[in-house]
Amino acid sequence: MNIISDLLMTALYTVFVQNLVLSSGLGMSEAIRVSTKPGTFGKFAVMISGFSVVTSILCSLIDKIAAMANVTYAVRAAVYGGILAAVFIIVAAAARFIFKASPKFLGTLGIAALNTLVLAVPYINHSAAYSFADSIGSGIGAGIAFVLAAALISMGSRILEENENIPAIFKGTPTMFLYVAMLSLAFAGFSDTNLFA
Amino acid sequence: MSNNVSFKDMLVKGALIFNPVLIQLVGLCPVVAASTTLAGSAALSAALCIELTATCVIASALFKKIPRWVRVPLYLIIGLALICPVLWYIETKTLINMSLGMKIYIPLIAINSVTAVHCEQFAVKNSVKLAFFDAAAVSIGASAVMLLVGTVREIFGSGSLAGVNLDLPVIFKGMSLPFGCLILLGFMAAGLKAFINYRYGDEEETEEEAPVEDEEIIEDEIAEVEIFDEFWVEQPAEEEPAPAEKAQPQTAQEIQSSANEDIEDFFRSIGIDYYEKGDKQ
Repeated sequence: MNIISDLLMTALYTVFVQNLVLSSGLGMSEAIRVSTKPGTFGKFAVMISGFSVVTSILCSLIDKIAAMANVTYAVRAAVYGGILAAVFIIVAAAARFIFKASPKFLGTLGIAALNTLVLAVPYINHSAAYSFADSIGSGIGAGIAFVLAAALISMGSRILEENENIPAIFKGTPTMFLYVAMLSLAFAGFSDTNLFA
Repeated sequence: MSNNVSFKDMLVKGALIFNPVLIQLVGLCPVVAASTTLAGSAALSAALCIELTATCVIASALFKKIPRWVRVPLYLIIGLALICPVLWYIETKTLINMSLGMKIYIPLIAINSVTAVHCEQFAVKNSVKLAFFDAAAVSIGASAVMLLVGTVREIFGSGSLAGVNLDLPVIFKGMSLPFGCLILLGFMAAGLKAFINYRYGDEEETEEEAPVEDEEIIEDEIAEVEIFDEFWVEQPAEEEPAPAEKAQPQTAQEIQSSANEDIEDFFRSIGIDYYEKGDKQ
């Protein structure tokens, strides 16, 4: 029971309190790109959560090896990155040759797997000393956090596009930046941060 | 495309008109999350320049016949192979005290979307020389943004510059947070758009208002920009002919209006559509 509650608490924390996309900027480019395709949100949530969970579990297991205890961050980065690349190649090869997946699907898989968000999750698990259950919750939360951010960006950008009062020079990317900034500020409010010193 | 394109031409388009961060919205993670100081931004910029340039050159030289789903993870592995040894050397053999954030975010450069987009959109379709030019131009554009953002955030967010205390009366710590950076990027993007409008303004304005002696200069600049059209604007896939209204931009004005499109259309041209058109391999 404790394992499930730990998993859920970490997932909720990762989604709402420490939204990795809007509070940490991880996978922000991909979230903005995906926000233009609301129909793909469910697919991305599953894929990112899946890759994050599998990578987190494998990295957690690797971290338990005694030799990994005191390695530098450079070595850790190489190991985590190698694991992610291997997981992606195995999944993509299976999708391509066993399930005859379309190139479009493989492209989506690439966006979902190979981004800063998925690779950062094992780092976060390590630096926060997350347990095994926490690591799984963190991975699931990363996928949901990504889709939550993409959905918020999608809804806002549609409204902003229709707004005639925005000066022409701010239309497009400047407005998008400012809107995402407001979303980021909202999530920063959850983390009890002082804005002025 | 022709190999006769000069680096200056590529620089104008890669670093300015299609700035990766401010216009294309790629590679935001290191800028938003880690560029909080000038020194940190310099380190990230150096890592990005080395990683992007080397990966694009290798991709152009070796990866043209490899399927795309295999190429993309190879970019990650190449990036890590370039960055991790340098990071390891700094961590173990020097006295440089890197923050935890830098130790995490510098390796994340290896999986940056800038690399994947430019390797896939340009490097694997062109010669090594052009891939190098493109990567260098994009690196310069992204680094310029990172350094400017790092400088402003350090001044207002920490009250210092390059570690030297400036004794500011008020420190706005919010500038060190992602939202402070995003607000800054919003105004920088608007400034860049205004600059591009001014420099490559619409033709009517140019004809009516530009002095006679400036017309030739403006036409030269337009001609320089036109050179890039064939590779910056995505070529339609053979099986999906482009609709008439999606014709490639031919003038600086059209290029500018292309850059000013709303984000959905823009990313359809540089990212999302690419994946949807599928792997031609």
